[in-house]
Amino acid sequence: MDAGMMNLSSAPHVRDKWTTPFIMRVVFLSLMPATIVGCVVYGWHAAAIVAVSIVAAVLSEWLFNKIAHKPSTIWDGSAVVTGLLLALSLSPSLPLYIPIIGSVFAIVVAKCCFGGLGKNFINPALAGRCFLLISFGRIMNTFAVDGISSATPTANLAAGKAVNLTSMFLGTSNAVIGSSILALLVGGLVLWSMDIIHGQICFSVLGGFTLFIALFGGQGFDPTYLAAQLCGGGVVMGAFFMATDYVTSPVSRLGQFIYGCTIGVLGGLFRLYGSAADSFSYSVIIGNLLTPLIDTYIVEKPFAYRKNALRGLDPDSRKPRYKRIPKPVIALTVIAAIAGVALSGVYSMTKDTIEAQKEAAKLESYKVVAARADSFRAIEKAEEMISGSHENGVYGSGFGRVKINAVYEAVDEAGNPIGTVMSITSSDGFDGDVTIALGLDADGKVTGIAFTELHETPGMGMRADEESFKGQFGGQDSVLTLVKGEAKNDGEIAAITGASITSTAVTNAVSAGIHFYQNVIKGAN
Amino acid sequence: MKNTFRGGVHPEEKKKLSRDVPLRLFDPKGEMVFPLSQHIGKPAKAIVKKGDPVLVGQLIAEADGFVSANIHSSCSGTVKAVEMRRVLTGQMADCIVIDNDGQFTGKENWAARDDGGTLSNNDILQRIQDAGIVGLGGAGFPTHVKLKPKDPDAIRWVIANGAECEPYLTCNDQLMRSKGPEIVEALELVLRLFPNAEGVICIENNKPEAIKEMKKAVGDRARMKVKSMITKYPQGGERSLIEAIAGANYPASQLPADVGCIVCNVGTLYAIQRAVLYREPLFSQVFTLTGEAVSQPGNYIVRDGTSFAELVEAAGGLKNGTNAMVGGGLKTDAKAVKALVGGPMMGVAIGSLDVPIQKQNNGLTVLDFDPVEEAEGLMTSCLHCGRCSTVCPMGLTPQLMAEAAELNNLERYEKKLYGLECIQCGSCSFCCPAKRPLTQTFKKAKGEIMAKRQREGGNK
Repeated sequence: MDAGMMNLSSAPHVRDKWTTPFIMRVVFLSLMPATIVGCVVYGWHAAAIVAVSIVAAVLSEWLFNKIAHKPSTIWDGSAVVTGLLLALSLSPSLPLYIPIIGSVFAIVVAKCCFGGLGKNFINPALAGRCFLLISFGRIMNTFAVDGISSATPTANLAAGKAVNLTSMFLGTSNAVIGSSILALLVGGLVLWSMDIIHGQICFSVLGGFTLFIALFGGQGFDPTYLAAQLCGGGVVMGAFFMATDYVTSPVSRLGQFIYGCTIGVLGGLFRLYGSAADSFSYSVIIGNLLTPLIDTYIVEKPFAYRKNALRGLDPDSRKPRYKRIPKPVIALTVIAAIAGVALSGVYSMTKDTIEAQKEAAKLESYKVVAARADSFRAIEKAEEMISGSHENGVYGSGFGRVKINAVYEAVDEAGNPIGTVMSITSSDGFDGDVTIALGLDADGKVTGIAFTELHETPGMGMRADEESFKGQFGGQDSVLTLVKGEAKNDGEIAAITGASITSTAVTNAVSAGIHFYQNVIKGAN
Repeated sequence: MKNTFRGGVHPEEKKKLSRDVPLRLFDPKGEMVFPLSQHIGKPAKAIVKKGDPVLVGQLIAEADGFVSANIHSSCSGTVKAVEMRRVLTGQMADCIVIDNDGQFTGKENWAARDDGGTLSNNDILQRIQDAGIVGLGGAGFPTHVKLKPKDPDAIRWVIANGAECEPYLTCNDQLMRSKGPEIVEALELVLRLFPNAEGVICIENNKPEAIKEMKKAVGDRARMKVKSMITKYPQGGERSLIEAIAGANYPASQLPADVGCIVCNVGTLYAIQRAVLYREPLFSQVFTLTGEAVSQPGNYIVRDGTSFAELVEAAGGLKNGTNAMVGGGLKTDAKAVKALVGGPMMGVAIGSLDVPIQKQNNGLTVLDFDPVEEAEGLMTSCLHCGRCSTVCPMGLTPQLMAEAAELNNLERYEKKLYGLECIQCGSCSFCCPAKRPLTQTFKKAKGEIMAKRQREGGNK
């Protein structure tokens, strides 16, 4: 038999699935959260900048190769990543010719002229950005959202003004397109957990920067201040996506550590004492320039020449080592923690609004139940009266889980007291809390009730808000009884058919209010 | 110690093709070719001439010097020629060619078992040397030399290498499953040479049956244990095993014995058992015939000197891309495009199968695809991503080495980057996303440095 001459090659004869385009694809995808947040927050123009920048980068690489009679290299995906990175580091309000100029410079001058992918000595995207900063300084530093321009958080921070840390973190502040720290961190940590970027670089950049700012920023280790400095001015983008660029960062772990610390410290130095707010780009570029020097002199020795090469031959050192926590686990934990922080940030941002809305609804309801009142006045010792009459957050007995929230005196235009209003919550509703506003006239008779919180079943419990039910409370001045069918006597309330739970809750709340008025408020007077 | 080393890669194992096929002796019919150099060291000297009759197990070439090994005939017949023949490196080399009579008449039948207990250490070593045993893991280092370190008392671990980390290959798995007690006996014999050593049988954890069999064979012997290793290439490399077991790394200028270790492949140990207790010389070994393009992958005991082509043909031949109607649809069969002696990571590609099997060969993998050709189409410039440094089991920096080698800066390559420490395991080339031919570059650089040294040495 003869199978003919078969192919020859040098070992190894198999290859891993990872390719350059694969890595570029992963980096591209890891930038997607930041891109999407940027486009959502800053709108269509930001999306246009991203698209134009990527297209310009790819086209200029294709054209360069064409003119230089080189095989096309756009399939490796690095031009797409460069275009995207550049766009993310630009203001969302720039005219579209700016990203085109930046991309062309990044690809043609910084990359292709030096031999293309793997041969450039500075990060092309950063080179493009710095070129734009130098050449178009005024336009580049215009940050306008919805046509209103204002200073970036970093500029405010430099001027000693207060910044909104939460909006910086989420990426809703007035900054570059890729300014969502949360989104960048998610992407960066994914890359780190996949071993695509080196932890030595990104974490030493962040560490060096934080340490420098803490030591020389004049505010010590104040976490809010440090976080604001870290969240602004492209530090996170620089640490995870710019400084970690393979081509322009050192190879050895020690070299990477030195490189990262240098960038971090320079970034801090420029931030505190420099004039440009975008100085972080420059510190990364200086790190890039140091890389060949670092790689020439700092080379890791092979295992056999390291200090611990013979560690196992010494019986004392043969101790079990701690298992390292796998990177994906760390990354997931950090992402979960970040998401938690972000959610609590969203809550704290929106909490005041929710409270204010509730308050407004309450006031509105007070107006309804005490129509003649001009304003509402705090009652002396109201807090004490409430807290003194509640046990475990429940008022009295026989009213179920009822709580008096607040009590005010209603006054007319002349300032004379004309009655009392209360906010009362019963937790016995069919679907959670039922909160009512209750108005009483000077004689203690109910003037009306209104709901400030009611989310019962539509068509059943929700019918409590109909006049036929809540109108029954007018003029009542004693603890009420709920009856089925028709109410015949004073002090009786007819339940809503099919919604006895809601009826009970409301009736109990009103009874509690009347009881509170008669026994606590009047008792105090 | 963790049961593995630093670095390493996870190539597709592909062991399913042949892992459960039991070992079978293959008796060839065609002429047998015995290269005189089947081991590291000086080639053996032929002691037969054209026309001489030979029997199975007869010495046909004897060791020339200390680091050399005897060669025995694996068939009976007549010496046809002592001439230059093509061997698996693709070059011509001195070979003894024997006309096989197909009878396989043995010089003896090697059935009488000697009492191992009465043998002295020297007897053991002498019998190993007489049998012409070399390291069957692939390197082919004469075993009697390996077992004579300067200070036998300083040896603390005798490592039986059953890792078989090379993808596709499964013959050692089958050997351990079927010859556990013999391997353990051999390990006991070797341990007698090293009174302070412990025997550690290392098996990757993708071979649970072999681990079970070996544990059963070891039983409660005091100086011996079976260790299940993490499946990772090159776990079965000498240095990887020593890092995992002894926690020691040593430079290329040193031998395992310098850090208190002796590493023997399980196939070698089986040969030692046969040689010491039965005086049977080494003329056959376990062998895996596998790969997507082989009709019937399987595990064999092959006789040295058999042509790869004859073995392949007897096992149903290669798939050759023929079209066939299968279930109403046209199915094109796989086509053999690449044949590798050994596995895909460290194996040697051969253009033609018409070359003889040598002592240290443990497999033939025939692929129906050419990953290297595919990779060449995807090659980009080095990204400096550092994956090669991460996977290098020696802790080298392949990307800088490649840069220095391409610039012909051999001074930096050797002195600053320790390029000669490379064991050419192929992990860097395997994992390189830019598909750079790193290992190949290092082989070439090493060759150039060695040639330069020789020139300079010669000028003195």
